[in-house]
Order: sequence, then structure tokens, then C-alpha cells
Amino acid sequence: MGRTKQVSAIARQDRIGLLYVAPFFVHFLLFGAIPIVFTTFLAFFNADMDLYYEFMDTFDPGVLGNAFIGFDNFRELGSDPYFWLALKNTFSIWAISTIPQLIVAFGIASLLANPNLRASVFWRTLLMVPNITSVLAVAIVFQQIFDRDFGMVNTLLYYVGRGPVEWTNETLPSHFAIAMMIDWRWLGYNSLIFLAAILAIPRELYESASLDGASRWQVTRFVTIPQLRNTITFMVVIGTIGGLGLFVEPLIYGGSYDGGANNQFLTMTLYLYKNAFLNMRLGYGAAIGVGITIVVIVVSIVNFLITRRIASEDSK
Amino acid sequence: MARRHIVATVIGSALVLGALVAAPSQAAPKVTLQVWGFGNVFEPNIVMKYGMIKGNKSWETLQQSLIKKKKLKVLNPNVTLVISGGGSQPDAAYFKLSAALPGNAAPDVAAVEMAYMGQTRVKSTANQFIDLNTYGANKIKGEYLPFRYEQGLSANGKQIGIPTDVGGLAVAYRTDLFKKAGLPTARASVAKLWPTWEKFIATGKKFQAKSSAAFIDSSGNMFQAILNQGTSKYSNPKTKKYDYVRAGSGFKSFAISNPAVKRAFKLTADAGCTSRKNGKCSGSIGTKIPQYNTGWGAAIEKNAFATVLAPAWALDYITQFAPKSRGKWDVAAAPGVGGNLGGSMLTIPKKADNIDAAWKFIKWYLAPTQQLDTFKQYKLFPTTYKLYKQPAIKNYKDRFFNNAPLGVIYANSAIKLKPILAGPLDRAIDNQYGAALSRVSFGNQTKVERGCKAKAQTTEAAWCQAVSDIGRLGLSGK
Amino acid sequence: MATPTLNLPVSAAAKPVKIKKWKRGTVSPGTYGALGFMVFLSAFPFYWMFVVASNGSDAIAKIPPALVPGNTFGDVVQEINDMVPFWQAITNTIFVATVISVFNVFFSALAGFALAKLRMPGKKQMLTFIIGTMMLPAQLGVIFMFMVMSWLNWINDFRALIVPAIVGAFGVFWMRQIVDSQIPNELLEAAKIDGASVFRTFMNIVVPAILPASFVLGLFTFLGVWNDYLWPSLVLNDANRYTVQVAITALNQSYVINYARNMAAALLGTAPLLILFIFVGRRLVAGVMDGAVKG
Repeated sequence: MGRTKQVSAIARQDRIGLLYVAPFFVHFLLFGAIPIVFTTFLAFFNADMDLYYEFMDTFDPGVLGNAFIGFDNFRELGSDPYFWLALKNTFSIWAISTIPQLIVAFGIASLLANPNLRASVFWRTLLMVPNITSVLAVAIVFQQIFDRDFGMVNTLLYYVGRGPVEWTNETLPSHFAIAMMIDWRWLGYNSLIFLAAILAIPRELYESASLDGASRWQVTRFVTIPQLRNTITFMVVIGTIGGLGLFVEPLIYGGSYDGGANNQFLTMTLYLYKNAFLNMRLGYGAAIGVGITIVVIVVSIVNFLITRRIASEDSK
Repeated sequence: MARRHIVATVIGSALVLGALVAAPSQAAPKVTLQVWGFGNVFEPNIVMKYGMIKGNKSWETLQQSLIKKKKLKVLNPNVTLVISGGGSQPDAAYFKLSAALPGNAAPDVAAVEMAYMGQTRVKSTANQFIDLNTYGANKIKGEYLPFRYEQGLSANGKQIGIPTDVGGLAVAYRTDLFKKAGLPTARASVAKLWPTWEKFIATGKKFQAKSSAAFIDSSGNMFQAILNQGTSKYSNPKTKKYDYVRAGSGFKSFAISNPAVKRAFKLTADAGCTSRKNGKCSGSIGTKIPQYNTGWGAAIEKNAFATVLAPAWALDYITQFAPKSRGKWDVAAAPGVGGNLGGSMLTIPKKADNIDAAWKFIKWYLAPTQQLDTFKQYKLFPTTYKLYKQPAIKNYKDRFFNNAPLGVIYANSAIKLKPILAGPLDRAIDNQYGAALSRVSFGNQTKVERGCKAKAQTTEAAWCQAVSDIGRLGLSGK
Repeated sequence: MATPTLNLPVSAAAKPVKIKKWKRGTVSPGTYGALGFMVFLSAFPFYWMFVVASNGSDAIAKIPPALVPGNTFGDVVQEINDMVPFWQAITNTIFVATVISVFNVFFSALAGFALAKLRMPGKKQMLTFIIGTMMLPAQLGVIFMFMVMSWLNWINDFRALIVPAIVGAFGVFWMRQIVDSQIPNELLEAAKIDGASVFRTFMNIVVPAILPASFVLGLFTFLGVWNDYLWPSLVLNDANRYTVQVAITALNQSYVINYARNMAAALLGTAPLLILFIFVGRRLVAGVMDGAVKG
């Protein structure tokens, strides 16, 4: 058997790999693509429960035809102040939770990276514990901690002579409280990611820095941080996708789909559910879903552009 | 060889999947009823007399132990009751039900909260349910409070639901706090303090001037209580139309134009905000503590407020959450005429598997005997109003509430009510008005709608926003 | 800003200069103090759950508030069990999460292996596509999925949880990275030339090498399923089929809100994971850090 023939036989054999990736793609088609395509389709209809029942009873496409309203839902979405408010709230909570979190996580990681630290595995493991707790459990506990009348935080404030803070009724305090829930759960995790990245930095860089007589701060500023750019970008991207889908925390925190009486912590996903499940406006809910997807795509593109710029800066 | 392996894996995993996909089918000669509820619509001690409980482990264990001790004889051992959704919240329950109705997962018996009956009685939804008249519902019609029974009538004339309990409405008040504030404490004289809601609010202000406690736990509840005493809410009883129309169409929806709604809104806002500082609400006759939770119970025991607008079932919550307040309460008639909060309907979906058995169960569960039993054990007030003359209800008193004649008080409040036409967006509209009212009392009505001639934080500004938000709910006039 | 230090070639260490070891400093007590404080913050909510859960409801309004555990925890747990079958929910969740984890690991490993090592047309595009799907907000399809489940009569059925979750983009991507970095190509080439089939190569060479990583992926999947909230609460209505999070929700969203009960439920629902964590915590941490470098 000639060598080339053998290689091509192997290549042909390798095509069996298509079968291996098939489960993912078939699954994605059934449980990812079709629902999303359907939802997008639904966004062009005045779809409410009436339509749902009529269609399910008859399976008559004519029923759908009557409910077709073109871009009306999207037009409404564009001028819907609540969607824009939800967008603003979502980003505000995201910023309040992400920025301090990255700084503190970096600080913790720097502490953990100290090679002389005792019981380092012990510290790392304990910091990971909040991450395995469910969002629901976290929300329940923090709801109690931030309770206006009987909460831990306001009780402490009372002892230092400060009036009760309206942790749910005012915009910024409520964003802060929700951000705390997110941070508590993710701080340890992100510290570990930072730690891994710090430990992966070639020692030589530090060693030559110390040869140059750099101070500790200079080492951090000019060696560590530039090396962590990709990690930071990665965390921001993951944090953004998670942050844009935020809804369990505000749902449990406020106990309703409104995100507070003044919609002060209404998030985009909460607004989707409010329309689709509570007000039974399935079509409009679907349009909100499409809106969220567009926001996610735009944010991802921005992220991508920033990442690319950082990457090219690095290679300069 | 290689190929065979691959095929084997693929088939192997397909088989495992297949095992998951294939429904386990069991030929059962007995009847299993899928019953979907929420909250405490189905009370364990009652339903376990009817059939064998399955699903809820603690109910199941209780039933088994009672049977063993010969304290319980199940009426229909061939009927298995799988009761789902107990304790859950009505919004989630209704969404699940409405989505499941046209599919194969529809239950045999479904409870629908009153706030959702408006959506349920619309033609397209009502068609998803059995017309109970075809099973002889009209024969038992006379047993039930007319206004509650009529709530189960669909827009196209089908009887789709039979009423469970009626909330009724009264004011539970703290005699000790009333006394300290120099108010009368005897129930008759207390009731005379508030023949109207205006007087109720005035009494509240008077009380608070002399007491450190708030007058009422949550003033927000007044809105529904006031509306339920009327004859119309969000749908016009004359045109019988649910005329909600998208904002901007120039059409004034009845949900907004109904003077009764505006009145209830203003009254509730007046109670929620009795004084202002720099335009922002600074005083209220109510606390801001949410109802029926641990904090609420703790607040009662700390004497934080003096009254609760209480449907019959709420009395049970007071006893549960604030056991130490025993004997400090009394109950008087509510302001206005009659009153009701809460309640639900039992229905049978069209796609139910066991319609006959479901109907037998509903008929039994909501029959006077069982309703009386439920009242005795769980304080849910019966809708079968002929019971009101029975000594068990007529003479019903409770020491926790200073031996107030609860049976008579609640019977009087329930019997005076008139039917109100319900519409599909009732729950959503309730939410918008509720949010607007809490914006006023929490002082975060920051928004002033365009074209609204009002200042921020005012009742009028909250009303404007509520009107605009309701217009946004959008439903073409059906 | 790029500094000269950054551009040093990696071979700098090979310089024949004796380098004085860069002083990273010894560990100051402040470091332990700071880490201790972080651990305290991490642990405090659990402690607080137990304090509220074990003190009964009226304790929360005490001034000063109760700060030490009380003795009513057993009663509250009993109360919870009277309302929802909580132990059943834990069993259900273990079952569902285990099945999903096994499937997810298997399918992800297969696909990851193919994408990392096999010569197939369109491999790069496939990978980009898979990463792209991770960006799609999952909530978007919920309405439709619910209708389908209802139509299939899978409401109250574990299949509604299992089937949509048996393979996911994250797992495939993760496995690709692992296979790519941990299995030398030479090993695979050698196996091929020996005439081993692709599947046999996978089973005999790839699987043993990626077992530790598979375990970590399985753990992540397990945790994810355990903590999933929205979808199970939509499709499960029968208390006997509840997963842990749905059981907690049922308690939390009822008309009547009892803090002690809610906190006890949150704690009970987390406890099995905490116990699991004692055994696998180190591997999980290693997995997170491994993934971080490769991602």
C-alpha cells in the first residue's frame, strides 16, 4: 500500500468525525435553532393566547395570516420607554457588579499568587464555595439581608445611627443590592481565573523586571496587567453575556416581573417574561427577545473589536 | 470493523435516548385525576377523604396513617388524586395551565384564580374548557352565592367554573391599640367609625395622631377592596366588551374611564400618602411592610399597626404569623357595603382524560358538606350560602379575635356583593394600578407622562403613568 | 503600553548570568487577614441561613437580632417537608443531573475529539459556529419550547429537562480544547497506522487521557442542572417531580412567606452540593483554573 493512498484512506476514515459532531448539531437544530427561528417569526404577529388556542385547535395557517402585523411589534419596541429603561438598568447593574469585582478579584488573585502562602489550596477551595450555590438561594438570602425593615444591613446601619436605606425602592441602592448578589457568587471564581492567568505568566518576565530594579507596583503595572489582558477581556465577555440575561436575582428580589413599583430594577429579560408570561403578549415578548439578541450581538462585536485592538497592541 | 463499532455506539446511544423518550405506559383500570391547583385551593384533610392521594408525599403518608388507624375511610379507593401546584403562586400556575390547555398535558381539574377568570372566560380560552352545564351544573347552581357563581360564566354563555370559597371582607383591629389612642373598642361602635372609606381614612389619621403605631398594615389593599364592592371594574357591564385598546388610538378604555376605578385609586392614594414633604410623600396610614410574611407577623407582635383589611382566610394568617397577639384582636364590618378579596374557580379542561370523574370530584369537593368542613378546619368561607343559616357558621366565634361573631360578619359581607364583569387583562391592569399606588406612597413617582398636567410624586402623576402603562398592555377590542 | 521588559525573549532565563531570585516578599499577616475576611464573606450567608432557619420566625425582629443559631431547625425542616416533598426533590435532581451530565460528557467528548483531531471538511467553521451559539440568549426560545413540551405531553416529565440538555456548546468547546492540548498528534497517527479504527482510538487513547477533564465537565454540568431554576419551574407542576430549585421556589413564591422556612430550604438545597464539594472541591478549582488558561 502506497503512503499517499494510506493517508487518503485515513482522511476518509476521519470523516466519521462528522457523525461524532452530529449529535450536537442535530440537538442544536431541534432545541436551539428552531425555537429561536420560531420566536423571531412570532415577533411579526399579534400573538396572544387567543391566537395560540385558535391555532392549536385548528392548525389552520389562515388563523396566523389574520394576526400578521409586520414590523408593528418592533416599531412599538423602539418607542417603548420600558425596554430602554430595562436596557439602562441592565447595563447599570452590570457595571456596578463587574468593575469593582474585577478589581477585587485581581487583588485576591495577587494575594493567592504569593508562592510562600500557606495552605493555598485551602484558600482557593473556600473561595469557590459561593459559586456552587444556586442563584435562587443567593437571592433568597440577600433579599433577607437587604430587607428594609428587618434586614441585616439596615439593622447594622441603625446601630451606627444611619436611617434605613431603601434597598428595594430606590434605583441605585437596588442596583447595588442586586450587584452584591452577583458579586458574592462570582468573586471567588473570577479570582481563580485571574490566579491561573497570573501563574501562567513566564517567571522570566518577573525575574528580568526585578533585575531592572522595578518596584512591586511597577511589576504589577508593567508585567502582570498587560499579560492579563486576554483574561480580562474573557471575563468581561462572559460577564456581559451573563449580565445581559440577568433576571432571576431581580425577580426574586422584587417578588414580581415589574422590577420594583417604579421599574427601578426592571431588566431586559424580566421585561420579556413580563410581556410573554404575565401579560400574555407572546408576539411582543418575542420581539423583545429579538431586541435582546441584537443588543447581545452588538455588545459582542464591540467586545471583539476591543479584543482585537488589544491583541494588535500587544504584538506591536 | 470500525464502522460496526461506530454504528454500535450510535445505536447504543439512540437506544438509551429511546428508553428516555418512550413513555412508560401502565394500563390502569382505576381512574387517576390530575388536579392542578395553587396556594391552598385543595386542602389535604378534605381531599384525602375522596380518593387516594398520590404525589404529595406528606399528604400521602398522613392519609395512609389515618387509614391504618381506621380514622379515615376513603370514599373512592379506585380514584387516585395527583394534586399539583400546592403552595405555588397564581401567576405561575395560570401561565402553566394556559399553555398546557390545548396540548396533551392538560389536567383533569384545574383551579383558576379570580384575577385570571377574565382571561379564562374569553371565548377562545373558554372553548378550551368543558361547559359544566352539559354535566348538570345548573342543578347545583342554586347552592352558590349568585355573584360568585356568575364569575364562572364564559363570554359565550358556558359555565366553565364552579366557585371555591369566598373571601368576604372585614376589618380586624387591635382593641389594645385602639383603647390607647382613645378610640372605642366595641365592634358595633368601631364599625360606626367608618361607614365609608373616607371616614376610614379619617379615623386612621385620628388614630395616628395619638399613637406611634400605623393604622393599617398595607393601604394598597384598599384599591381592590373598594372596587370589589362596586358593580364594575375594568370592563363595561353595558357593552359587555373588554375594550382595552392600544394607547394612542384615541379610544378611552373603560379600565381607565370608569369613575369607580378612579375613585378607588384616589382613595387608596390618599390613604397611602397622608402628608408630604418637599412634594414627596412622608406620611401614610399604612406601613410599608409586605403582607403575610414573617416580617408582617413580627410587626404585629411589635404593635406596628392596628388594623388589617381581612378576608376570612387572612384571619388564619394572623393566627399563624403572630400567635402572641392572641386575644388582642377584634373584628368589625368593613367600610362600604360588603366586600370580597380572593377566591378561585374549579374547571375541567376540554382535553382532560377523565371528564366524568373530574366532574364528580368537583361536585363533591365544592358541595355544602365539604365546604362546611373546609371552613371548620381551614377558615375558608363557604360559597354555598345556605350554610350561613346553619349554627356551625351562625354561631362561629374565635377566642383569638375576642369571640367576634366571625360567621355572621363574613356572611353579611359576602352576601351583599354584586357580580362584576371580568376581562382578559384584569390581572395585568391590577398590577399596573398597584404599582402606581405604591409609587405614590414610596415617594418614587419620578416620572410625569407627556401631556400630564401634574407634578412628580403626586397622585395625578401616578394615575397618568398607570393610564399610559395600561394602554401599553395592548389588546385590540374583542 | 508596551515596555521593553515585555519584549524580552523567553530565552532570557537562559542567560548565563546568575539571577538573584526576585523577591516576592514573604507573606504578611495582612494577606492572611484579607483572605480570611474574604472567606468570612463567602461563608457568612450560609451561617446566616442557618441562624434564621434555626431561630424560628419571630427571631428576625428581635433587637438586637439573633446572631447565633437557635434550636428550631428540625421543626422548620419538618414544616418544609409537610409542604413539599423535599427529599424526593433532592433524589429527582440527583437523577436528572446525573443523566444529563453523563450524556453531555459523552457527546461533548466525541464532538470535541472530532473537532480537535480529525480531518474533516468545514471544521473551522463548525468550531466558530459552536462558539457563536454560546452568545445566543437561552431565554429566547423558552416560549416555543414550552409549547412543544406541552404538545409532547412532557409537562411534569423528566424528559422535558433531560432531552433539551444532553449536549451543549460549552461542553463541546471545552472538550475540544482539552483534547487539543492533552493528546499528542503522534499518538493518534501511530494508532491509525496500526490500523485502529477511529472509534477505537477514541475509546482506547483519548478517553483515558481526558477522564479527569471529563469528570470536571461532568461536575460543572451537574452543578448547572442542580441550580437551574426557570425551565424546571415552568415544566414541572407535580410536587412529586420537583427538582430542588423548584421546591425552593414553591416555598418562596407562595402567598405566605416565612423567612425561616425559605432560608432552611435554601440551605437544604445547597447542603448536598456542599457535601459533594468537600470531596471534589479541589478538582473543581483545578478545573476552573485549567479552563481559564486554555480558554
